[in-house]
Amino acid sequence: MTNLDHGKFTRMTTVFHSLLAMDVFFLFFTGYAIMFNDELWWMLTLMGGSGSVAALHRVFGVGLLALITFWALMMVTTDTGRSNFSEVLPTPDDAKAFVQDIQFVLGNAEERHPNARQFAGGTADEIPLLSYVGKGVIFIFAVELALLTLSGLLIWSKTGLMQYFATQTAAIAFVVFHGLLGVVMLMGIMFHIFEHGFHPAFFPVETKAFIPRSMIPEHHDDDDEGTGIERLQLSSGWASASNLAGAATVIGIVSVLTASIYDTGYPVSLELLVGGGPTNLLLTVGVNIGMLVLFFGMVLSVYGNLVRIRWEQQMAQEEGAEAEAAD
Amino acid sequence: MSNSTTENGVSSYSGTMIAVNAVIAVAVALGAVWVANGFNVFYERLDRVSPTADGGGIGTAFAQGNDIGWLVFMVEAIHAIDVLMGLFILVLVFVHWSAFRRLAGRMRQPGESRAMPDGGDTDTENGGDTQ
Ligand code: HEM
Ligand code: HEM
Repeated sequence: MTNLDHGKFTRMTTVFHSLLAMDVFFLFFTGYAIMFNDELWWMLTLMGGSGSVAALHRVFGVGLLALITFWALMMVTTDTGRSNFSEVLPTPDDAKAFVQDIQFVLGNAEERHPNARQFAGGTADEIPLLSYVGKGVIFIFAVELALLTLSGLLIWSKTGLMQYFATQTAAIAFVVFHGLLGVVMLMGIMFHIFEHGFHPAFFPVETKAFIPRSMIPEHHDDDDEGTGIERLQLSSGWASASNLAGAATVIGIVSVLTASIYDTGYPVSLELLVGGGPTNLLLTVGVNIGMLVLFFGMVLSVYGNLVRIRWEQQMAQEEGAEAEAAD
Repeated sequence: MSNSTTENGVSSYSGTMIAVNAVIAVAVALGAVWVANGFNVFYERLDRVSPTADGGGIGTAFAQGNDIGWLVFMVEAIHAIDVLMGLFILVLVFVHWSAFRRLAGRMRQPGESRAMPDGGDTDTENGGDTQ
């Protein structure tokens, strides 16, 4: 297990990240089983039909509401939290990092920019708390989750909603709007899973979000140039696994995007046929591959926590051995 | 009390704050749902599956009579945002996919000799052979 890199998250944040991920995954499964019921009919049946799925979605909705309220409180009421605000602000370096990533792929740059580097290795001192993708992820997820929670609350009770908007039309438009809002999040998480599951130095999971920084030893060999990635050995399964996952991620993103367009018609017709999309075999396969990517992300999140437990045990053992040696 | 540090000196969050904020958060969440639900515990059920206009489901009303301009606009706008963000996310996937391939090329390939440049690692679980 050498895929520990510089620590990032506090213990509280690692636990929060795991809980948030679980909750959001279940919101995805329940929400899109309703919206993409043409493609995910089996999921709907598996979870006990539409009534039960809608109820489950509400349960996880309350969970999300509690989680983001908790996070907002932590960020405002603690020094550690408040000190994070400056870290999430985008800087010119983040724009440069994105450009340099493209240059790196084209072969015009030798290294990824420090603001893009996931594996820091010997360059840990140069690496900001958040990469440019990380900042984007925080920003987009925060906006998305806030809007999803708000619209989710508004559609909680259709009769209540009709009081505000006078018609059933408004109520249903809001449900559609809520579901479409989540599509960005859905596609974003698929990318997030690929990014943090398939980096060659970390494969099969980047543990930064699972092992708190207090548990990661910090030592720097200052005489080393660069990240030192060339000293790590590539896992033999990486090449095929990353190609498979990359393809599944792309197919999943394209499919849910297409399905979401079909489900209301794009360019948007005024004739909204919610859930009335075409029964398309290709789309059905694609959307299901997307769900597979999500499911795999859920497995990785659990696996990340298992790795943490193993690491904890190993640290405890080593400490025990040191104590014995000192006697 | 709002801040604490762990053994090796990195800052973290205090247990008290976590507990207090967790309790407040759960209360706020339940309270918000209660208000949104018109101060009721149970919500009405509407079958949202296959609500096609043909089937006369709840979507019918939307197809027939959505004349609230800003709502129609919002749905159109979110479609456009989904498409734009989708394309951007695809770019990010491809950039990372290729960057990962390039980084992987720099690593020691599976089965290569485990001899370290600084001679620090002497275990030879992979045989230490060279091609
Ligand atoms: C990641 C977050 C979320 C995602 C991706 C998501 C997604 C969805 C989707 C796709 C639908 C079905 C839309 C349709 O029928 O076209 C839906 C329905 C719904 N969502 Fe969410 N949602 C999220 C969070 C929430 C939250 C936080 C709440 C509540 C506070 C909530 C409450 C609801 C309700 C009440 C419905 C309607 C269910 C019904 O038909 O009875 N959602 N959601
Ligand atoms: C719905 C599920 C998830 C949500 C909402 C979520 C959200 C986030 C957010 C907001 C961040 C901080 C910004 C960033 O650095 O990117 C983050 C970081 C991270 N996430 Fe997730 N995540 C989810 C699932 C996962 C899964 C399944 C994995 C494992 C493959 C994962 C691995 C990571 C890692 C390793 C980081 C640290 C990245 C870094 O800063 O270097 N996440 N996540």
